Amino acid sequence: MTEHKYGFLIDASCCIDCRACLVACSVENNVPMKNTRIWIHDTGVMGEYPNLSRYSAPFHCMHCVDPSCVSACTVGALQQSREGIVIYDQDRCIGCRYCMYACPFEVPNFEWQERLALIIKCDLCTARLDEGGQPACAATCPTRAIQFGRRDEMLNLAYKRIQENPQRYVAHVYGEHENGGTSTFYISPVPFEQLGFPVTGQTESPAHFNRLVTHGTPTVAAGVAIGMAGIYLAIKRQAADNAAAAAEHARPEHKAEEE
Amino acid sequence: MAKTLSRRDFLKLGAVAAGGLAVGKFIPPQVAQAARLAGHLNAAGDGYIPSMCEMCVWRCGLLAKVRNGRVVKLDGNPEHPHSRGNLCTRGQAGLMNTYDPDRVLTPLIRVGARGEGLFRKASWDEALDLTASHMLSIKQNYGPEAMVFSSTHNLSQVQFENLLYAFGSPNYGTQRSLCFNSMITAFLMTYGIEEPERNYDNVEFILLVGRNLMEAISTSETSQLSQALDRGAKLVYLDPRYTKTASKSAEWIPIRPGTDSAFLLAMIHVIVMNELADCDFVRQYVVGCDDIQEAMRSYTPAWAEQKTGVPAATIERVAREYAAAKHNALAHPGWRTSNFVNSFQTERALATLNALSGNVLTAGGCLSADVSSESAGLGAPPQPPYPRISALRLDGTPWKYPLVPLKLGVFQELRDAILTGEPYQAHGWFISRQNPILALPDRQKTLQAFAKMDFIATVDIILNDTAWYSDVVLPEASYLERYDPLLVLGGKAFIRQPVIEPQGEAKSALWIYKQLGERLGLSDYFQYADEEDYIRQQIAPLGTTLEALKFKGYAEMPSEEGEKEIVFNTPSGKIEIYSETLAKAGFSPWPTWEEPPAPPAGQFYLLTGKVAQATQFGTQNNQLLHKYSDEPRLWMNKDTAKSMGLVNGDWVEVTSAVGKVHIPLYATKAIRPDCVYMTPGYGHLSKGLTTAFGIGASDSVLHVTYTDPISGGQALSQTFVSVKKVPGSTPAPLPKPLYSGE
Repeated sequence: MTEHKYGFLIDASCCIDCRACLVACSVENNVPMKNTRIWIHDTGVMGEYPNLSRYSAPFHCMHCVDPSCVSACTVGALQQSREGIVIYDQDRCIGCRYCMYACPFEVPNFEWQERLALIIKCDLCTARLDEGGQPACAATCPTRAIQFGRRDEMLNLAYKRIQENPQRYVAHVYGEHENGGTSTFYISPVPFEQLGFPVTGQTESPAHFNRLVTHGTPTVAAGVAIGMAGIYLAIKRQAADNAAAAAEHARPEHKAEEE
Repeated sequence: MAKTLSRRDFLKLGAVAAGGLAVGKFIPPQVAQAARLAGHLNAAGDGYIPSMCEMCVWRCGLLAKVRNGRVVKLDGNPEHPHSRGNLCTRGQAGLMNTYDPDRVLTPLIRVGARGEGLFRKASWDEALDLTASHMLSIKQNYGPEAMVFSSTHNLSQVQFENLLYAFGSPNYGTQRSLCFNSMITAFLMTYGIEEPERNYDNVEFILLVGRNLMEAISTSETSQLSQALDRGAKLVYLDPRYTKTASKSAEWIPIRPGTDSAFLLAMIHVIVMNELADCDFVRQYVVGCDDIQEAMRSYTPAWAEQKTGVPAATIERVAREYAAAKHNALAHPGWRTSNFVNSFQTERALATLNALSGNVLTAGGCLSADVSSESAGLGAPPQPPYPRISALRLDGTPWKYPLVPLKLGVFQELRDAILTGEPYQAHGWFISRQNPILALPDRQKTLQAFAKMDFIATVDIILNDTAWYSDVVLPEASYLERYDPLLVLGGKAFIRQPVIEPQGEAKSALWIYKQLGERLGLSDYFQYADEEDYIRQQIAPLGTTLEALKFKGYAEMPSEEGEKEIVFNTPSGKIEIYSETLAKAGFSPWPTWEEPPAPPAGQFYLLTGKVAQATQFGTQNNQLLHKYSDEPRLWMNKDTAKSMGLVNGDWVEVTSAVGKVHIPLYATKAIRPDCVYMTPGYGHLSKGLTTAFGIGASDSVLHVTYTDPISGGQALSQTFVSVKKVPGSTPAPLPKPLYSGE
């Protein structure tokens, strides 16, 4: 029985975009220099000079209650632990990237430049939790923009902060219902679309539907596996091209300032 | 261009570093053995060791996670008052400074032309003998004053100064005149305190004058500010640029550069004319109480509007809000929105504002004097008195700059005196942990000064630009590989201790200075056997052992008894808003307005300022910081850019009176239309920095040298530039940054 023990509360009103959490994550998890498990979502500079505003928040795996990625994974490389952590096992991964398409938050990252590419994704710093610590991102945040604790406590804290400062936040705890509920809750002074958060448009996880396909009869599974292998080879051939295309795809640094 | 470590390489590096461990399996290396004895590491060599960060000068406490002789993670030490369990971006990336593939791991001796980057490896004996022989021959031929010594704020600086004074040279370059001379000099003159500590416990109103605390991060202070804002404290922030701090403020005031003091003087005007100050405090502790109304009468908000471009009503309101918060108001001492020759007056006005709100040194007040010296109460190795120095200082302290404290100096003037040869010619330069080529204004001049030197030796961990132009490079152990003298903070003496073996042949500064001292015939000044012996002598009065200190990471200092009386270390013993000392030196005794120069038509103020992913000029080669840094560009107001026909990514030529650089443009709403901004610390000359070389441009190429006659501070923002598109260039596209969630 999954417990959904842990949770984050991330407050965009406190984040200063210093990126200490990004570096801490890279070091703790030995993330390759050209990849990342965690990003900054940023509104860009909004408004007209001199009445400007700007907000940001770090973003990593939401650790959904019923994770779409797990349901989409045909080989069991992505699993949900008994404590509700979405864990990745690289030894099982065949690099099919179904999880990337399944995740509504665009979290799983792919090692485009590696020959035997793997998925890069937050595992809640499981090793630190085992030692009684906090995930590296939360532990080092100098402004308490990332708080970590029991999931129910984090959700309560999110509501408490909104209720105590209704003028500071929009009345929405992102992550409570998105994709059927997650373990990462966000509160923000601006609507989440402005922060660049995915609008999932659904409050139920599609995981149950995915499971019909991926966890069906052994025959279906075998067929899927063979199909996957073929797709895998085809995709691998394209991967290098995709990577080059992605690198060349230039985007402005701050979308709000796009001319 | 840049060589990037893949994850696999990162592990390999560790294997190289741990190589010594594997070979000497039955003879554990010193550090690991000591750490095991101290109880930090288990039999397998794994565990956590407390030490102190050195990614900036804030010096947070850290806990280093060690596995198999490698440091694999750094966390903030909850027991250290500067980290409180957190580390900032740079602190988190600190182990990449240690494992930088560009580390210098043996002494190097130059074989090519200066700046060509051709060196040969040498033994420590050869490099030290060579350095000492050059220094001795310069001393013999021209006197000890012909040797210049320079080093930036660090814990081993006490022994660097020991080397310099024992050698007998008065010529000491610190970075301070490029940074906060105006703040320290002004607060010394007004309170008798260099830099009062800030207390955010009860703060209700915070005025930050260009103190970009959310990007120029001091971990605990940034954290305290953030929590104060979360609690509902009001932040008013003056800066020509919309920084991350501006985005957290209740009110961002994009003030005209160089006019901060006009804004502050008008605030003082409103407070004293309307008698809004804390009268009891002011009567008891302030010199100038009776005449201040008269002295500030002309600085009306309407007058300040003309200077600053900020509406008079805004200034009046901010002043009244500040006064209403009484001693829970804080006007942060430093540093500045912009540094002009009038910055000393800006700092004097800030000191005055705090005095008027009665928040200085009073119980619960926002400024405290709890700034014990770094080594107060500790022991020290015995040593003879220093030789008497009769030569003038090349930097003009105090014969040209009578009010500049000797330990601050005027670095840029020292450089200029090397060029002019007045009042005498310097011939040699010994540099430790400092990068004057990139840090001093007007890089071309600094390179010319280097070219005039007979001999230059540099102590550093990588080939920064200054090491690149040196004759001898002495490889220092990184802060995770060495001991430094202790730091006294909040009633405790904290230790920086090695958490891993020094890589290659790198050595601690304490060792290097002692070895050099002995070769210079100065052994009596270095009476410590090794680093541990030095620290044992430091803790002798504390009644503790080195082993206990290493285990806990700190030792308790004897506590001081009773309530301390409020005493100001000024000639009058009071806060000197009116300063007789300044009057006697021929300067205004009151905080006063000095008109700063403005850019001619068609030119811009050149602003510089910090980012959270770099410290000054020394961390740009750190791959983990580089991974999550913004590409350095020239910020320009987007409307201005549009009117000039420039678009985002255009290559522009930026020209000042002394230099010219090419850099891509970043058109943004986040800056005044009459300003442009560059992130300092880029545009390296050294090809020994494979990550940082080729990125961005150097602001030092553009900066014109102007010295504030009172504080000796370099007026870093008093440089004006013209900007035009590089003919025939194609715009540089902005790649999607790795960290962007878009």
